Amino acid sequence: MRYLKIYMTCLHTAFSRAAAYRLDFVLGNLITLLSNIIFPLVTVLIYANGAKFPGWTMWEVLLIQSVFSMSNAVASMICGSILWVTMDHVQSGRFETVLLKPLSPLFYIAAANFDTGSIGLFLGGLAMTIISASFTKSSGAWGIILFLLLFLSGAAVMCGLDLIMAAISFKWVGNSRIPEIFESIKEFGKYPLGIFPKAVQVMSALIIPVAVVGFFPASALLGRLDMYSLLSVIPCMLFFIFGIWLYNRMIKAYEGVGG
Amino acid sequence: MMNFLRHKFEMCKAVAFVTYKEWSAYRTHSLVSVFVGPVYFVVQYFIWTAVYGDSSTLGGMEFQQTIRYFGASALIGYLTMDFADWNLQMLVQSGKFLTFTLRPMHHRFFALSQKIGHRVLGFFFEFLPCLLIFSLLFGLDMIPQHMGWTVLSVAFAFLMNFYVNYCLGMTAFYFVQANGIRVVYQLLGNIFSGALIPLSFFPEAVQRIMMFLPFQYTNYIPAMVWTGSSSIGEMGLTIPQAVLYQGIAVIFTALLSEVIYRSSIKRFTAVGA
Repeated sequence: MRYLKIYMTCLHTAFSRAAAYRLDFVLGNLITLLSNIIFPLVTVLIYANGAKFPGWTMWEVLLIQSVFSMSNAVASMICGSILWVTMDHVQSGRFETVLLKPLSPLFYIAAANFDTGSIGLFLGGLAMTIISASFTKSSGAWGIILFLLLFLSGAAVMCGLDLIMAAISFKWVGNSRIPEIFESIKEFGKYPLGIFPKAVQVMSALIIPVAVVGFFPASALLGRLDMYSLLSVIPCMLFFIFGIWLYNRMIKAYEGVGG
Repeated sequence: MMNFLRHKFEMCKAVAFVTYKEWSAYRTHSLVSVFVGPVYFVVQYFIWTAVYGDSSTLGGMEFQQTIRYFGASALIGYLTMDFADWNLQMLVQSGKFLTFTLRPMHHRFFALSQKIGHRVLGFFFEFLPCLLIFSLLFGLDMIPQHMGWTVLSVAFAFLMNFYVNYCLGMTAFYFVQANGIRVVYQLLGNIFSGALIPLSFFPEAVQRIMMFLPFQYTNYIPAMVWTGSSSIGEMGLTIPQAVLYQGIAVIFTALLSEVIYRSSIKRFTAVGA
C-alpha cells in the first residue's frame, strides 16, 4: 500500500512536470511516435510493390507491428528510464543517493522516472491497432481476453529487457550502445514468426520471448493463435522476474567510484 | 600551394590520430556493432526471403542484389557514421565553442579530421569484422563490382554525411538547443536514405524528389554502386551518373555549410564558456 501511494505521487509529479513544459511534452511525444511508426512503412511499401509475407495480409502484419508499438510504449513508460538513470548514476558515482533512500532502489528509480514521453507512442499504437483490426477478421471476446493476457506478457518481456540492460550497465559502465544490442533482438518480434527458421521461432517464443510482444497477441486477436503458444506466458513472467533479480543482484557490483 | 596542402594534411593527421587513440579506449563501443550488424542483417535476410517467395524481381531489384544491398548498406554505415551535429550543438550550448574560435584552425576542418580518426577506428573494429561475418558466415559476395566507383561513392557519402550534420549542428547558433531539428532529420534520414528499404520501392515521384534532398546520397546511392547496379532507381542512372550527382550534392552542401557558418558565427555569444 505504501509503495502504491509513493508510485501514485511520483506519477502525479511526472504529469505535473509534463504539464509545466507542454510544448516540449507534445513535440517529444510526436517525435517518439513518428520515429516508432517508421517500420510499418516498410510493410506498406512491400505490399504496394505487389509482394507479401506469405499467408499474411498487409493489415494483419500492420496489426502485429502496432501491437508491438503499444507494448513498447507501455514498457517505456514504466521501465524505459531505468537504464539511462542507472547508467548515469553509476558512471558519475551518484548511485549512493539512490541507495540511501528508504525504498527498494529499483522501485525508486522506476517510480521517480515514469516516462510521460511514451504516451503519444501508446496512443498512436492504439489507433493503429484499432485501424488495422478493423480491416481484419477479429475473433471476438475470447480473442480479446487472450490478447490482453498476451499483451501484458509481452509488456513484461519488454520491461525484463529494460531491466537486464540496466543491470548490465553496472558492469559495462557508460556504454550507451547497450540498448542497440537488445533493440536488434526485438526485431524478431515485429514480423510474422513463420518467416523465421524453427530455431529462431523457438528462441523468440521461449528463450527471449519477443514473439509474445507483437506476434502472439495479434494472432490472438485474429483468431490464429495456436493454443500451445499460451505456454509462452510462463517464460515471459520468468524473464521479467529474472530482470528484477539480476538488477538487484548487480547493485552489489556497484563500486561508487567518483561519487 | 603544396606547402599549404602538406600543412593541412599534417594537421588532419595529428587530430585524426589523437581521436583514434582517444576512442580506442572505448573500442567495446565499436565492437557492439559486430553483434548488432549481423543480427539486423539476419532479420532482413529472412524478411526478404519470405517477401520474394517466387518473385524474381521486386522494386527493380533481384533477391541477391537486395541482400547485398542491405549488407553494403550496413558496411557503409560503419564507414560514414557521424555525430558532428551533436558535437557542435554541445559545444555551442555549453559555450566551449569559444576555445575553437581562438585556435588557428577552422572548427569544421577540426571536426572533419576528428571524424576521419573516429571512422578509421570504425574501419578496424566495425567494418572489417562485419565484412568478414557477411562474407564467411553468410557466404555473401561483398566485393564491389566496380571498386573505384564504390570507393569514390563511399567517400562522397562520408563527406555528405559530415557536411549535412555540420549544417544541422550550426542551427544551435540560432536555437541553442537543436535536438528537435536533429531528431527530425534523423527520422527523415531513416526513411529516405534507403537504410530501411531501397528507395526503388518508393513511388517514382518520391524518388525524383529525393534527387534534390541529401538523404539518398548518404546511403542508397553508395549501396547501389556497391552492388554494381547498372540502373539506379526509376531514373535509371548509370553508376558514373549517380556518383556525379553525389559529387555535385557534396560540393553544394560544403558551400552551403560555409555560407551558414559565416552567418551563424556572428550570433555566437560564448555564454557559459
